[in-house]
Amino acid sequence: MKLDPVTLEILGNKLAAVTEEMCLTLQRTGRTLYVKETADFACALAGLDGRFFAYPRSIGVSGFVGLECAPAIAAVGPLEPGDVILTNDPYRSEGLATHLPDLHMIEPYFHAGEIVAYGWCFVHCSDVGGRVPSSISPTNTEIFQEGLRIPPVKLMKRGEMNADVKLFLDANSRTAEANMGDIRAMLAALAAGRRRLEQTIAQHGADTVLAAGTDLVDYAGQKARAVLARVPEGSYSFSDYLDDDAASPLPVRLALTATFGGGEVHLDFTGTDPQVATAMNIPSRGRPHAWLTLRVLALVHTLDPTVPLNVGLLSTVRITAPEGSLVNPQEPAAVGVRHAAAIRVNDVLNGAFGRALPAVMPAASSGCVIPVVMAEPDGSGGRHVQVIEPMIGGTGAREGRDGVDGRDSGISNLANNPVETVEAELGIEVLRYALRPDSGGAGQWRGGCGMELTFRVLTDGSNVLGRGMERLLFRPWGAQGGRPGAAGALIVNRGRPDERRLGKIDVLEVNAGDTVTFLTPGAGGWGDPALRAPEAIARDVENGFVTPEGAERDYGPQATETATGFGPERAAWDAVFGAPAMDRLNAALIALPLASRLRRRGEILRAVLAELPEGFPRAPAPEAAAAAARARLADCLETI
Amino acid sequence: MTTEGARIGIDVGGTFTDFVLSDPRDGSLVYYKEPSTPEEPSRALIEGLRALLARAGLEPSGVAALMHGTTIGLNAIIQRRGAKIALVVTEGFRDILEIARSRMPSSFDFHAAKEEPLVPRLRVLEIGARFSPRGEATRTPGPGEIARLGAALREAGVEAAALVCVNGYAAPEAEAALAAELSAAAGGLDITSAAAIWPEIREYERTLVACLNAYIQPLMQRYFAGLEAGLAADGVTAPILVTASNGGSLSLASAAARPVETVLSGPASGVMAAARLAAAAGVGGIITFDMGGTSSDIAIASSGTPELATRTDIGGLPLVLPVVDVSAIGAGGGSVVWVDEHDVLKVGPHSAGAAPGPVSYGRGGTEPAVTDCYLALGYIDPAGFLGGRMQLDGAAARVALGGIAARIGLKGPDAAQAAAEGALAVTTAGMATELYKTLAARGLDPAGFALVPFGGAGPTHANLLAEEAGIARVVIPPAAGTFCAMGAAGADLRRDFVRSLRQPLDADTARGLADTLAALGAEGEAWLDAEGAHITGRRSEPSADMRYTGQAYELRVSLEGVELSAAAVAEAFHREHERIYGFRDAGAEVELGTARLAVIGLTPDLSAPSWPEGDPEPAPTGRRPLFRRGAWVEAAVYRREALGAGARLAGPAIVEQDDTTTVVLPGWSGRVDTMGNLHLERAAA
Repeated sequence: MKLDPVTLEILGNKLAAVTEEMCLTLQRTGRTLYVKETADFACALAGLDGRFFAYPRSIGVSGFVGLECAPAIAAVGPLEPGDVILTNDPYRSEGLATHLPDLHMIEPYFHAGEIVAYGWCFVHCSDVGGRVPSSISPTNTEIFQEGLRIPPVKLMKRGEMNADVKLFLDANSRTAEANMGDIRAMLAALAAGRRRLEQTIAQHGADTVLAAGTDLVDYAGQKARAVLARVPEGSYSFSDYLDDDAASPLPVRLALTATFGGGEVHLDFTGTDPQVATAMNIPSRGRPHAWLTLRVLALVHTLDPTVPLNVGLLSTVRITAPEGSLVNPQEPAAVGVRHAAAIRVNDVLNGAFGRALPAVMPAASSGCVIPVVMAEPDGSGGRHVQVIEPMIGGTGAREGRDGVDGRDSGISNLANNPVETVEAELGIEVLRYALRPDSGGAGQWRGGCGMELTFRVLTDGSNVLGRGMERLLFRPWGAQGGRPGAAGALIVNRGRPDERRLGKIDVLEVNAGDTVTFLTPGAGGWGDPALRAPEAIARDVENGFVTPEGAERDYGPQATETATGFGPERAAWDAVFGAPAMDRLNAALIALPLASRLRRRGEILRAVLAELPEGFPRAPAPEAAAAAARARLADCLETI
Repeated sequence: MTTEGARIGIDVGGTFTDFVLSDPRDGSLVYYKEPSTPEEPSRALIEGLRALLARAGLEPSGVAALMHGTTIGLNAIIQRRGAKIALVVTEGFRDILEIARSRMPSSFDFHAAKEEPLVPRLRVLEIGARFSPRGEATRTPGPGEIARLGAALREAGVEAAALVCVNGYAAPEAEAALAAELSAAAGGLDITSAAAIWPEIREYERTLVACLNAYIQPLMQRYFAGLEAGLAADGVTAPILVTASNGGSLSLASAAARPVETVLSGPASGVMAAARLAAAAGVGGIITFDMGGTSSDIAIASSGTPELATRTDIGGLPLVLPVVDVSAIGAGGGSVVWVDEHDVLKVGPHSAGAAPGPVSYGRGGTEPAVTDCYLALGYIDPAGFLGGRMQLDGAAARVALGGIAARIGLKGPDAAQAAAEGALAVTTAGMATELYKTLAARGLDPAGFALVPFGGAGPTHANLLAEEAGIARVVIPPAAGTFCAMGAAGADLRRDFVRSLRQPLDADTARGLADTLAALGAEGEAWLDAEGAHITGRRSEPSADMRYTGQAYELRVSLEGVELSAAAVAEAFHREHERIYGFRDAGAEVELGTARLAVIGLTPDLSAPSWPEGDPEPAPTGRRPLFRRGAWVEAAVYRREALGAGARLAGPAIVEQDDTTTVVLPGWSGRVDTMGNLHLERAAA
């Protein structure tokens, strides 16, 4: 490192604060929901290599520290002072943008006629056109359905907005004016960053500030290495499933082998399913992309909270993500709800790391974020659409600590909506917004409880949307002998004669008087339930996190042994679709052309499932059927 | 209170209980410090008051009012040592405290835990009571259910309870009546109705207001009762007022009923004192800078009025009551200087505190702290700390800092000083960046503000911070060490009232807004009447939270001087929106959120102390070397009390007084105004 230890500390603080000041400016001047309430935005400073050397610590989206600006910068050619690049295209920005509603902007910062750094920011805007309002839907099959694609272009040229670009933007959004408000807020943030960087250069000199940029990255890299060097060397594999791909009932597999050694980690996603025909693909371009490495950052930060947040953290990570797979899709795969798959990516990293660090890593968290949306007739032919609550579950237990009930920051740390503001704006009555007793996985340390939302509909012809429902089939797993959390569920008119238990919904039609109940999954437990302290069990029962019946079931003398921490559904699935066979299947499928890959996968899985009883794997398969299915799968693998 | 008797401000701190007496007969101010008695805080107060009156030559009957701030409630919340309480909540919402707003404190640290709820789930009881958003009762508990809950509350063995009904904000009278019924059924238990105490929409935040109130109420009531009895025994019959988090004050009876309004009064009082002082001295916008042992706080004020926040954090819990907006910006005098495993110099966040304290305290501390750096650099005199009552060990500080210097590769005879200067540079840069961020969130630029430091280390560090942050002026009050007591002595009576409306703005709802503000005004007048104090005037500040329908956030819009017609109220909102966001949406529907009224009972201004005139070019009492930018420079040393009005001095200089030391950097000059404030200004280039 070039700088002395005092200057480095001072500039580390100052440069991170520049990015935080940019965020505060954006938050103050932005006006849409994503900026004000859910903080779905970020700002940073990038070096000449287009990678972030300074990133905000406490505001905005924390996970995007690994994004790269260089491809977008290269795409527009030479830059002048006052130019600002705009893009939202994951393919043409090579993974800077990861779905179309995220508008990314880059401004070159000049000193003495030379570019010395780049300011970057992004905002999740309300709508960029496409098939559905808000632009993202899990059932989009190509990025062309997801809205206007903005390749890297100069939105601002020498400080003037490019009128032609603005015409395209305005013509292709349902919320053109709000988007322009967000863009103005981003320009204000970039300007704030420019002014503060100029001031910092005036105080310390350009050479020192530039040296700080590289030193800070080295420093973060050293610290991250020191943390990862504490992980026992070796390869650790783990796989997990999404219940389905939102268009078919076929589960989607994510597989990972994490290899630790010499303070580095190699994340190999070989064995992960091919890209899906829905919008859950993660456009990583095969790099240590933000959506694939979130859990590495969290691990480093958990074990050493003093590590500066910058791209140096990722200098310890290598990635293998097969092209054409869910985690590195080929154009024009749809990517709008890539965060749904990212939640499961988090789970497989967590699981693999847990094999290396059982005392550090928690069991699976509830693993879903469901924005429960109500669309009720507005009386004049349209619909009034609003989120009731973003429903999450709890966090997994870990050694020495029960999971957290009813909170989960794993993928996005969103605030909920006050029930009173919801009732003031929608024709519903919320009957219960509560924890879900007995849903946390049993263990020496108990998993966090999931949640319940029950509301009564007051308007005929209303629609309820529950996108993001997951873990209805494959439960959040326990670790080190801990039991899985309860699966999620959706129930209409619970406890009434006309009760209906539903699986995933896209749009649910309901009428006045109906009640709708969302139950989110509980998180996994850690360690053998038989080792749980009796006082802890008594305390849970006294407080009602566990019912007396639940305690008897999970901790009583008759507590049933389960084979794995994954739950019976996953055990039944694995008995047919074991890891070696699935690894072979995906290796073969990935080698096929994009067009036939998905079709072949569907044909094979359906052929094998035909040997199994209806409702498999929720309904267990008799051994004879399982054997026949295995044989069928083996045949298919021979002839693929 | 009358304008004839003396007004006394008292601040009960962790180490000292500070007193300021304002005597209207001659306009003088008398200061006194008494060591605190944390195990029984009223004792130091009563004993200190005796000593103060003796010093001022006053009888107890000569006291017109006691204005008193305390941190008892705040400490009980932070340390979770409040009363055993229960919460009664609408059926279906038992987990309101467990779920909170569903966010975790950190999105990165998967070992992070959520805050400890104020009421464990087993003492949260459900009741079949709720309202519609329009305030109609949609479920009402029968006598059987109330009797059952009363019995359950008695059985729970709690000292107090809170009641929260969903949509209760729309029917506060009905919820208050239900609380009274429950209280009767529970044998007279104190039950705080959330809607009655704070009828603002958002059930979780309102629940916290009620729970916090119930949580500290028994403790505060015991303390107030003991205080009143003790003072009465001494013949003090003047009204006792309690300072509030909003910068005002309340009668003892009001504070006992709503102690939650007082929890952040300590820092609020200091900011109020600074704001008033700056206004009197003709200084426009100020940033207050309170540097204590473990951390430093800033707040922003202009024209004598500090900024208020309606969302603060208290012990990890959000508080929505209006409070003087104080932000932490980092290190204090006890923050530890250390070197990490990659040989980078760090300051804080952990603090040596008072025990063991900095190395120079000689109480067993081995890690150097910020105070040790001041010592090594010559900023403070080891023999003059706390007016000479505590001898510091400068040599030990230098040895410890020498160890830091060796770790980061500094050599030579002044290596310890270089390390100390580096540590202060890190500290100052950290403070300045936090200050920038605090101002950026409000769209303000520090260059237009003066810095007003107080607290033990504030004046010592203020010039460093001003230089780093590009602030051109520092104003140091004469009694920087007893500032919170001073703020208390001058506090007006003040209470905030709210009512959530949640309606589109039209002619009807504008009338409704006017009616609501009138009702709140009547409530406020009745409150002022009942406070029983003589006040010299009354004032109220109406405002409303508004937004364009469908927008995700609301703006607070002042309605002072605004006619309450739909057009005028809408125009006030459009104008505010334009000011902050640069545009207005004239065609869009405007929605009324929450109506607010601050009701203020004015107390007489503290007579401004006049400071004796002095020599414009005072002679220093001595000189001492000051380490600055890697070299020793000779600084003139002055006694603060010897600097008369009109005195001028040039940096590098040091101004010493019993409770603090002011450092004037090279390139800065100082002058004393007619009220004794020391102004530091950047010398013209």
